[in-house]
Amino acid sequence: MTLSSVVETEFPEEFIEEMEKTDDVLPKKIDANPENVEKGLAKLVLTLIELIRKLLEKQAMRRVEAGSLSEEEIENVGETLMKLENKMDELKGIFGLKDEELNLNLGPLGDLM
Amino acid sequence: MKLYLYGVIDSSNQITESIYGLEGADVYNIPFCDIGAVVSQISQPIRSVTESAILEHQAVVEKLMTDFTVLPVRFQTVINGRDNLLSMMQSYYEDFKDNLDRFHNKLEFGIKVIWPADKIKEHIINTYKKNNKSVYVTGDSSNKRFMRNKFEKYKLDEEFQKKANKFINVMDMFFSKFAAEKKLGKLKSENLLLDAVYLVEKDNQDSFKEAFEHIKSTHTGFKFLFSGPWPAYNFIILPKNSDLLKDFRQEDLFDKLIQHRDLVGTDKI
Repeated sequence: MTLSSVVETEFPEEFIEEMEKTDDVLPKKIDANPENVEKGLAKLVLTLIELIRKLLEKQAMRRVEAGSLSEEEIENVGETLMKLENKMDELKGIFGLKDEELNLNLGPLGDLM
Repeated sequence: MKLYLYGVIDSSNQITESIYGLEGADVYNIPFCDIGAVVSQISQPIRSVTESAILEHQAVVEKLMTDFTVLPVRFQTVINGRDNLLSMMQSYYEDFKDNLDRFHNKLEFGIKVIWPADKIKEHIINTYKKNNKSVYVTGDSSNKRFMRNKFEKYKLDEEFQKKANKFINVMDMFFSKFAAEKKLGKLKSENLLLDAVYLVEKDNQDSFKEAFEHIKSTHTGFKFLFSGPWPAYNFIILPKNSDLLKDFRQEDLFDKLIQHRDLVGTDKI
């Protein structure tokens, strides 16, 4: 059988690798069972917290760039963001989650992060 | 009698060419008004997805594409009897017609581009260091150092995105000239700069390919993948909440094809 549709590339392995990276991180159906339900829920909750944390961080950076934060405010924001990041690392460690697992595919809108 | 559905076509006429589908069964058209559902009889539902079954499905769709506009349906779509099929056709007739009209005389092509992300980043970092942007956050407390690192990363990411957009805009400008519709996936991973699909008029497909070859030849260090022609998998719009045409993405087939070079011609891959 020969198909007329073609896939032309000199680098098939590299494209396969990249496409695998972009596969949905979360499954389309929730595979909930007593063994993994805790981790599954943690993943979902931490993904949302991570999103909010990143938004806060980005907003802070914009304000730094705009020069609208005083030295003291930069100090305070730095402390808050650092503590938040450390706490997230701790929680990720507890549930055995990696950074790249904390993402959601929003269909046509693309990835959450 | 179970019917395996391959797609919906813009014709209610019988298919004159002999086409064999899954289980080697005859493929035929069941008309509904001025369109038709292309099916073959199947003895039992397909329980496992095999590469050969996917390729057989795709081979039927491709044969249909030579004579008709095709709405490809999801792989493994089995309908229980002719009455149920006609009922489904009645429910979705307007939607099918709208899509078939949009896709008339058009084909889908996929373009993926990998860029040298590491080199780009290195260049950005060197430029950043030269311009010493870190003056935005001064001081040496741990909090300030944290903020300075975050700010540098923020600026690098911003520059990385800007560069990506610049490259994508140039490429897309060339491809869009010959496309009726497009969907662009930007930086799906750090290396995958562009993952795009274009809906192209059949008459423009050679020009589209030439535009691709031009972009390829002018972007040293970038890696390109061109695929198609496909039926318009990525452009189907169904307002109703149907999963009939979803879930069979071009990528699914692409994965199979790229792993089976003998099926797509060794000179092409």
